[in-house]
Amino acid sequence: MPADPAQPASPPAARLDREPTGAVLRLSGAWRLASLAAIERELTALTLPPHVSIDGTALVDIDTASALILLNHLKEAGIDVHQLPLAGFAANDARIVEQVRKRLDEVTTAMPHRQEGLLAHIGRETMSIIELLTGHLNFLGQTLVQMVRSLVKPATIRGRELTAQFEQVCLNAIPVVALVTLLIGVVVAYLLGLQAEKYGANIFVVDGVGIGATREFAPIIVAVIVAGRSGAAFTAQLGSMRLNEETDAIRTLGLSPMDVLVLPRVFALMAAMPLLVFVGDVMSLAGAMMIADPMLDITPTTFLARLQENLAIKHVYVGLAKAPVFALFIAVIGCRMGMNVKRDTRALGIATTSTVVQSIVAVILLDAGFAVLFQELDI
Amino acid sequence: MAAPASVIEIDSIVTRFGDQMVHDGVSFDVERGTLIALIGGSGTGKSVLLREIIGLQRPTSGRIRLLGTDVWQASDDEMNATRRRFGMMFQDGALFSSLSVAENVAVPLTEHAHVPAALLDALVHLRLAQAGLGPDAAPKMPSELSGGMRKRAAIARALALEPEILFLDEPTSGLDPTTARGFDTMVRSLVDDLGITVFLVTHDLDTLLTVVDRIVVLADGKVLADGKAREVIQVDDPWIQSYFSVRTMVSGSA
Repeated sequence: MPADPAQPASPPAARLDREPTGAVLRLSGAWRLASLAAIERELTALTLPPHVSIDGTALVDIDTASALILLNHLKEAGIDVHQLPLAGFAANDARIVEQVRKRLDEVTTAMPHRQEGLLAHIGRETMSIIELLTGHLNFLGQTLVQMVRSLVKPATIRGRELTAQFEQVCLNAIPVVALVTLLIGVVVAYLLGLQAEKYGANIFVVDGVGIGATREFAPIIVAVIVAGRSGAAFTAQLGSMRLNEETDAIRTLGLSPMDVLVLPRVFALMAAMPLLVFVGDVMSLAGAMMIADPMLDITPTTFLARLQENLAIKHVYVGLAKAPVFALFIAVIGCRMGMNVKRDTRALGIATTSTVVQSIVAVILLDAGFAVLFQELDI
Repeated sequence: MAAPASVIEIDSIVTRFGDQMVHDGVSFDVERGTLIALIGGSGTGKSVLLREIIGLQRPTSGRIRLLGTDVWQASDDEMNATRRRFGMMFQDGALFSSLSVAENVAVPLTEHAHVPAALLDALVHLRLAQAGLGPDAAPKMPSELSGGMRKRAAIARALALEPEILFLDEPTSGLDPTTARGFDTMVRSLVDDLGITVFLVTHDLDTLLTVVDRIVVLADGKVLADGKAREVIQVDDPWIQSYFSVRTMVSGSA
């Protein structure tokens, strides 16, 4: 029985007495979990003969952890603990020792620690990446088919869910997108300006920022923000619904999670992204205009006139055209990672992080693809 | 032994959430080495009382002494020392999902006890065996376990530091009857063989009628009945009568 640790306990001790009837290991003091280190010192100091009996007359008490260390030590010294005679133990202490004794073999059999080799690790990781990518491709295919079906029969689109998602991913994202792209516009104009000033080519900053922002910076920056904001949210929402068996409930009610959960998110994000990129275009040009006046002596009027003259509208269209494609990939990755999350809370955290990383990588790869494509098409 | 006979003392606990009165003067003591069950209808504040006893939720007024420590007056250090002397199993186990079963059980051991490294594995396996799990469960992650195994792993973690009191929140809920009876036997043996005091919140009539020493019934914010199962069954109260009548119906038809 565990005693009140508030009362001062005598330290645990073990003494080996050689008596005419055989060796006796006499235990004394309080054998408790808190003094395991002292118990181990006591035991290792003993030289044990092959046959010994144990006397617990002087024992204050013993707990299961101490009984385990005692029996384990005797076992390792080659003593058959199952035939070990116990004497003088209080009834409750004897029960505790018996409890441990009957489980001793089971608990002290060393479990083989599996150590994975480097090659096996690389192989397993590679296979899991391949599996992930083929799974994504599969899900992308399913989503596209379902999207076409919904577009043919627009009545199946869930309007309320779609607008709710649209509010989340578009309207609520405008402030952060506007702020970040404004600052990017300022920074790009400033850095270009430092170089252009040396050649007296101030006015070309407008051309540079115009093309750079609308064609590349704004779409990429917006995509990164959306991946971190909405992609992660999709995974977290769908993942926690899955943990809660809500997706299973949707299925058993005869609805398709694809229609109810995935498509509204994909459509909302694909509609939202071009709008957010447009906000990004405007704000980054505004940022450039703000810094151009004090730094490069380009007045807002001159800035706008130059922009009007020299920024071909195709650059803006290219930027806007990339947006829905980025959105599709971010939404598909976000939804699939959520729908496939393993049913535990840790997996959900990992999946959410993974969504953001995958989405950003996907966006950069797509952008590189677009760059090559538009180059070849001479756009 | 100098230790006080009562390990839990609950003294006129009042709990109010806004206008809603949950406990209106609940008092009872728990003696060392008993297996006590707290029962009551939904919303009678069983789990709230449990959380108040172990220091997770502050009662509106009243006093709770746990192993001689006044839970809501004690300093952080005193309370932390007391926390090492009891174990708690939450309803769904509350295992740390990023750690394996063995690592979960090892957490209290490595944090609070200086267990020699060589012995840690064996001690973890002993705790698992005490909770009725084999060594093959040790490397598994909590997500790979069934509900019953999760509860057992949680008990193993609660037992890690040789607690004097073990609190169990609905230990047999969601388990099949065979597993549940195995659970009862295991809990009973913790009380009989190791002298642990077990305090459980349950709805399981089989547990109540077979292994429990004492039942405390909460109703309308007060202790409605308190005693051995056969005494509690006799109490003339509609709720208690209907609660235990399910049992009589089944055995009557058999």
